[in-house]
Formats: sequence, C-alpha cells, structure tokens
Amino acid sequence: MQLTTNRARFGLPGTLALHLRLVAGWHILLSVVGATAVAYLWLANGGMVLWLKGISTAVLLMLTIASVLAVPALLRRQHRGRTLSLLVNYLGFVFALIALLHYAGVFIGIDALANTFGRGVLFFSVILAGYLVHGVADRFRDYPQTFRRLQRTGNWVMLAGLVAFLLAVGLIPGLLAFLARLGEPRNALLFGAVLLFGFVLWLMWRHEMASLLGEKSRDSEMLNGYLFLSPNLLGFLLFFAGPLLLSLYVSFTDSDAFGRQNWIGLQNYGEIFNLSVAPLQSPTQLAGEVLDVRVYDELTRFTLFGRSYVLGAQDKLFWIALRNTVMFVLTAVPLSVVPALLLAAVLNSQVPGMKVFRTIYFLPSIAAVVGVALIWRWLYNSTVGWINYFIASIVTLINQLAGAEVLTDPQIGWLSDTKVALFAVVIIAAWQWMGFNTVLYLAGLQNIPKSLYEAATVDGANSLTQFFRITIPLLAPTTFFVVSTTTIQAMQIFDQVYVLTNPPGGPGTSTTTIVLYLYTQGFRNFRQGYASSIAWVLFLLIFGLTIFQFQRQRSAAAE
Amino acid sequence: MRIKQLWSLIALLLLVSLVLAACGGGTTTSQPAANEPAANTAVEPAAPAAEVTIRWRTRPDNQEEANVYQNISNQLDAQLEGIKLVYEPGGSETASYQDVLKTELASGTAPDVFWIPGTDVADFATRGLIYDLRPLANATPGYSDDAFYPGPMLHLTFNPATGKSGEVLWGLPRDVSTFALYLNLDLIEEAGAEDPRELEAAGEWDWDAFMEVAKAVSALGGEFKGYGGSAWWGPYGVWINAAGGSFFNADRTACALNTPEALEGLAFAQMLYTQSGVAVPYGEDPEPPFRAGKVGMFQNGRWATPGIRTVNFNWDVVGLPTGPNGEPGNWLFWGAYVVNANTPNPEQAWKLVQALTTAETQGKVAALGANIPSRVSQEALDAFLTFTPPANNQAFLNGLAQDPTAEGPLWAGSWPQFVTVMDAAISSLLTGQTTLDNFAATVCDEANKAFNR
Repeated sequence: MQLTTNRARFGLPGTLALHLRLVAGWHILLSVVGATAVAYLWLANGGMVLWLKGISTAVLLMLTIASVLAVPALLRRQHRGRTLSLLVNYLGFVFALIALLHYAGVFIGIDALANTFGRGVLFFSVILAGYLVHGVADRFRDYPQTFRRLQRTGNWVMLAGLVAFLLAVGLIPGLLAFLARLGEPRNALLFGAVLLFGFVLWLMWRHEMASLLGEKSRDSEMLNGYLFLSPNLLGFLLFFAGPLLLSLYVSFTDSDAFGRQNWIGLQNYGEIFNLSVAPLQSPTQLAGEVLDVRVYDELTRFTLFGRSYVLGAQDKLFWIALRNTVMFVLTAVPLSVVPALLLAAVLNSQVPGMKVFRTIYFLPSIAAVVGVALIWRWLYNSTVGWINYFIASIVTLINQLAGAEVLTDPQIGWLSDTKVALFAVVIIAAWQWMGFNTVLYLAGLQNIPKSLYEAATVDGANSLTQFFRITIPLLAPTTFFVVSTTTIQAMQIFDQVYVLTNPPGGPGTSTTTIVLYLYTQGFRNFRQGYASSIAWVLFLLIFGLTIFQFQRQRSAAAE
Repeated sequence: MRIKQLWSLIALLLLVSLVLAACGGGTTTSQPAANEPAANTAVEPAAPAAEVTIRWRTRPDNQEEANVYQNISNQLDAQLEGIKLVYEPGGSETASYQDVLKTELASGTAPDVFWIPGTDVADFATRGLIYDLRPLANATPGYSDDAFYPGPMLHLTFNPATGKSGEVLWGLPRDVSTFALYLNLDLIEEAGAEDPRELEAAGEWDWDAFMEVAKAVSALGGEFKGYGGSAWWGPYGVWINAAGGSFFNADRTACALNTPEALEGLAFAQMLYTQSGVAVPYGEDPEPPFRAGKVGMFQNGRWATPGIRTVNFNWDVVGLPTGPNGEPGNWLFWGAYVVNANTPNPEQAWKLVQALTTAETQGKVAALGANIPSRVSQEALDAFLTFTPPANNQAFLNGLAQDPTAEGPLWAGSWPQFVTVMDAAISSLLTGQTTLDNFAATVCDEANKAFNR
C-alpha cells in the first residue's frame, strides 16, 4: 500500500517537473566536472601516456557535450534531452561500477575465487536435488496442493543450496572485505557515483518521465534496442576496437610495454620494408662486400639477365616468416579444404552409422590445440615416434616380401629437418581444420535440392558429372566461406608451431611464421611497438586477400 | 507475478553476492600502476603497521618441485614476522614462464618477488622492472655477496650506469647447475664401449674418447644414437667454450662466434650432428629416446635428474669431456630471486629473498635433486651429495670446480635478439643447411645488430 502511494506521488506532474529540474542541474554539474577533468588532464603534469590522455579526453568531451546539450532539451521537455541524459548516465553508471569493482579488487578476487570454488562444489548437489524435486512436481499436476508443495520445496532447497554454496566459497569474508574497501576514499567516491548515476538513470527511465517528455514508440524502440545492444557494443569497443586502435598507435612508437613509449612515426614500418638490392661480381661473392651489413642481412640471391644479385633486408626474419606463412597457407588451405569437400560428400550419404563418423572427423577441430600439438610432437619424434616406427615397419615388410633391400628406411626428421618441419605443421593444421570444414560442406550439401540430381540422372549424367556440374557450382558460396576463413586462420598460425617446435620456429627459421615472429618481438625482445607494426602489416595482408576473394566470388556469381 | 519478481530479485542478489564473495580471495597487497616510476635506488616505504602479503613465484620444472617450494613457503610464512606469504607456482619453461611474467609486469599484477633466469637480469634491470636491493643489503647485518658463487654475483651486482660490479644488487641466486652426460650404462656396455666414468677417472675423457663411445653406441644400428643434446644455446655453447671460444668478446660488447676457437668447437658439433650421424638430429627432443633406452649419452643439467630417475635401465652421470682448451667448457647455470620494482613492500620482499637463499632452504630444495645450492656452503653441498641416484653426483660439483662459464646477461645489448640470431644460424649449421665458412662469414654481421639497440 505504501509502495503504491509512493509510486503515485512520484508520478505526479509537479514532482516530475521537480525531478526534471534536478536532473538538469545534475547535468550542469556533470558538464562542469567533465570540462574540469579535461582541463586537469592537459594542464596538470601527470604521468599519463599520450594515447590514454587522448582517449580519456575524447570520452570526457563526448559526455560533457552530451550533458550540455541535455540541459536545455530537458528544460524544454524535449525527448532528445531524455535520450542524452540516459546515454550519459548509463555510461557513467557502467564506468563507475567497473571502476569500483576494479579498485575494490573484485576482478582479482574472481581469479582467486577459482581456488575456493572447490569448497562449495558439494552444495551443487543440494541445488541439483532441489531442481529434481521441482521437476518431479510436474508429475503431480492433477493434485494441485502436492504440485505447489513440491515446487515450493524444490525452490527452497535450491535456494538453501545456493546460499550454502556462497557461504562455503567465502561470501561473508568477501562481503566484509568489500565493505572495508568501500571505506577507502576513492572507492567511497565511486560507490557514490554508482548510486547517483543509477538513481538518475532510474528517474529518467520511468514511464511517467517518458510520457512527460513525449516519448514516441520509435523512441522507445530505439532506446530498448540500444539497451539490449549495449553489453556487446561496450564489450566490442572496450575489448576489441579499443585495443585494435591502441595497437595502431603503439605501432608508431618504440614501446617496450613497460612505460617507454616514444613516437617514432613510420620507423617500425620502415624497418620492416627496408630492402636493398646489390649486384654481385660473382654468384659466390660475400654479401658483406656489397651490402651495408650494419643495416642489412642477406635475404636471398637471384640471377637476372645473366647477372647475380643479392637482396638484403633490414629485418631478414620478417621476410623469412612471411615466406613461411605464405608456404603454409598455400599447402594447408588446399589440404584442409579439398579433403573436407570429398569427406563431406561421403558423409552425406544415408549409410547407417554415418553420424558416428561425422563425430569422429569433427573431434580434432574441438580438441585443444596445445594438447594435440604435444601428442603430435611425440608421434613425430624421429627416433622413438610412432610415425617413423610405422614407416620403418612398412619398409621392413616390403623388403622381406621382396627378399631384398628394395627400400631404405628414410628416418624422416619431422621436426629436425628444415625441409620437412613446416610440412609437419601443415599436416597437423589440415587434420584439425578439416573436420570443421567438413561440417560446413555438409550443411552446404544438404541445401542442394535433390530434384537437381534426379533431373541430371534422368538426363543420363553419371555421379562424377553430377559432382562437378551440380555439387561444386552450387557449393560455391560455402567454398568461398570455407576458403576465406581457413586462409585467415592459416595466415595467423601460431599455437601449433609454438608448441611443436623447439625452439619455437625451428629448426633454424624453417617454421617461423608471422604471428610467431611478432610474438617473439613483442614478448621476448621487448619490442611491442615493432610487434604491433608487424601485426598491422599482417592485418593489411589478410584484409587485401579477403577483399580479393570477395571480388572473385562476386565475379563468379555474376557469371 | 510478484513471486516471480521476488525470485528474480533473490537470484540477482545471489549473483551479486557471488561477485562480492570474490573479494575475500584477493590479497591486501595493492599494486601500483605499471607505469609508475620504480623506486629503484631509494628505500622509501614506511614500516607497515599490520601484516603485509608478499606474493612470490619461481619456475618449477615439475609438480614435485612445486610442492617443495609450497612447503618452504609455508615454513617461511610461520618464521617471517609480519609477512604473509603467498606462493604462486609459475608455469614451466614450455608454459612460457618469462612471457607470462613480463605480461604481468606490464599490467602491474606481477608478484612482489619472482625468479628470473640469469640471462634476463640485464633486460629487467635496465628497464627498471626490478629493485636495486643494495641499500637494503648494506643495512642487513651479516649479509655478504661473497656467500654466493662469484660468477652469478658478478652479473647480479653489475651497475650498467658505471659498468662496474659490486655497486648494486639485483637479486640473489636461487641455485646453480652444470651440465653432465647422463649415461645409459646398459647400452654402452652392449656396444662394447669403454665406461666414460672410468675414462674420466683415468684422465682420458676427452673429445676423442667421447666420439669413440658415441660411435660405438651408434654402431648398434637402427634408431640407436651415441649422443643427444637439446636445441638451445647451452648444449652447443659447451663445444664452443671447450675449444676456447665464446659467444662474445672479452668485455661482452660484440659477437665472437666467428673466432677460430668458436669455429673449432662448432666444427666438432657439426661433425657430431651431420657428418658422423652419431647424435639425435638437432632439433629433436633427445630426452624421450634416452628414456626409451635408445641413446648412450644425454647431455643435460641437474634439473633433468627427477625425470631420468624413472628409467628402467642402469644409468649414471659423467662430466663433460675435455676439449682442445683443456677444459670441458661447462656452463654455470643460474637464476635469481629478484624484487618487483613496483612492490609496495621492498623491505619485506628483501627478507623473503634472504630467507629463500639460506643454506637451510637451499638444502631442502637440493634434497629434491633438481639443482645445486647457489650458496658457497659445505653444508648445502653435503646435502646435495646425499641424494642419489645418480651415484656419481660429484660430476655436477666437479663441473662447478672446472672453471665453468657463468650464464650471463648482455648488458651492452639485447640477449633475446642475439640469441634469436645465434640459434637460427647454429641450427642451420647443425642441420646441414649451411657450411661453416658461410656461417663464419655472416653470423657476426647479423648478431652484432643486437648490440646496437
């Protein structure tokens, strides 16, 4: 009753008008605070790095301008004011809450929660029991009293189990610690900000306020749409677009990730693309005699119109990594796409037990890359590995059958022979990716109308003709998707190489790929700026390749 | 409807409670931002009134070692007044211990005390990531640099600003280790080769004798190999050192991989891997074939002992063979406990570093048999010798006495960049992709760029 009275009182136009004026005042305050914060950022001699200062300024200015614009609109009772106010207060609420959780140590605490989680696992069985009791209630729908009693009992058991779980994992000390941390001035300020932003947000969101400001159905739809979109949108901006742009900025600096960050313009990109060609007097002349070895390392030699040349690069390893990556893409993509298509065609048949085979072929694609690579490392061991053992057994068998040594055991150094090592990685990657590609092709195959095959059969086309004239052309969109995604995946190959080879990228530089190389530069050589520039070069390569594939697909579709 | 709302509210409250419960697991140590200036030379912190939490980490090679460190942490936690210790076992080398650590340092969440390998000290120190403990050490009664092996201390007390040792203190060595050859005695006997231990005792254990044993085992045919060494700078560095060469010139300011001595050592390694065919191919992990009984001699440090103890053949260890320089060219491997430059509690962190490197603590770690105490202490060495197998534990200690080259950072350049070039070039050499002449003509041109940074 009291609740209803309050609701009625809050809904009175006079009270609403007062709230509106309060909110307008709140936005004036926010505008002043925002402008002061921007001025402080640039006038105070703080240690904030330029990129952070820039981003903070942009965000603060956006919120300040939105606040400034909201004030007159609210006073004129325009709905635009409500929209701006909701935007500012929603973002303020989210940022203040995240900052509060961060400074109160909750995020680090969640990590630690993993350690205490085990203590409460037992209570999950209580929750499960409650759930079962609740579920059993459905069997007694004809007995309403029993039905309700069982449902209620189930709910309470679940609730008790959850509370017991929380207590077991440390709710009480957690709450006490959180409350203690709220006492710190910064956290108290953030807590106050959360409450204020939350309160204003509630005031402006209410139906009565919406009506007062003349909300139309399209306004309502827009706000609801953005509200639903906001978790993903904010996550995208904060955790994807933000870091992406940051890495672009970092690529123009000499950042080592530990504080040093000087703007060096295009120097990193210059280092990547700094190449030099010099003619040689003889094909065996030392590169050091014609190249400035303080800058360039010999990358390769070539002969043009009867004359030998040496190509030097300031960063030889980048070009070697690029070559390896291209080689990898050129072999791994066909080997994971063509067999996938053939396999899908086979698995598409209505033979009993085919679902089991589909599952088996799909399994490698969901297996953890690191675990798989470790197992393959053992299989590949040239001395005691199963693959060489199998090859040796076959060779022995053939020689015994022939009665003479017609074959020699090749003893392949899968991971120690520079000519073979990259192919060893290709085998694993193709094996892992093929399963997923097969599923995509299966989906594509099942979309092809059966009537086309029936018509072709009537016309006298055999299976092979049907495959090449019907299946492959109609699978073109699927093939485009499969090839594009597999190419992107192949260009970014890292995990398998990192785990499989020792040292990563070996033997020599035979398996050093672009992503592995940028990882080495960023995390081993303390060159985050240079690593970022390599990442952007890779991005442009992938982007260009994907555009090319898109255009090819469009041309093919137009034909 | 109201009941539904009530349940929604309860569910929301419980969710919030779950998040808040997370607060209980956090430590009370507050980490300043990574880009705050490191208090590198001054001792500023005020004495804390209450117990402070010190997080520490080291790189264990296996779970047993992690358990030993956890027990040590528990014991020290009870001993050190006003300090609550939280031990965080780091990942193994293959789990990128250093990469994870660097990421945490960049984000300001690294532990207060952590272990780093000796080669990383320069990078960490010159970037202001670790604390100069000298002022605290000077104020500590009874502390002396001389209590530890001089090789590691030369680098741990090196001041890059003046180029002199003894002026600063970047940390204290956790342990030391040397290389030895793990022997498959059954295989060597089957091959009819002489026992390397006897050859060593007779003073005849040199490169020629080593090659004879390796050839004899390889002559068994099939997948049997005489020798196996891992693909990193330690194993091939031994051959360079034993021939009188070095990776660097005398003052470690330039590459010396193309000197005649270094090339002589590499020529021997090249013969092992490519010409004679007696070695497990370079780049293949030699430990699995050794444990499978297919390799006669496996070169590795003391840290490999726990794993080797599980093999089902007779085994022991022997020192490295003497090279043309008259020495086996062994390494003195080491790593150090250092203090995070951003720790709010450097005094407590220093106390922990000291406690972790006492003879008593090192004896407990040595009991595992994974490494040798870094403190020059007969008590610790005696403890180490008692933990067998291998019967010939002394081989590791002999390695210490035979003037080993101390693993060390590169103060005048970038070690990671140098080793990237060196590893690739030597890998090409030892897998037959390049000739020794080509290697000699190009390697230092490329490697010297590491000194320009």
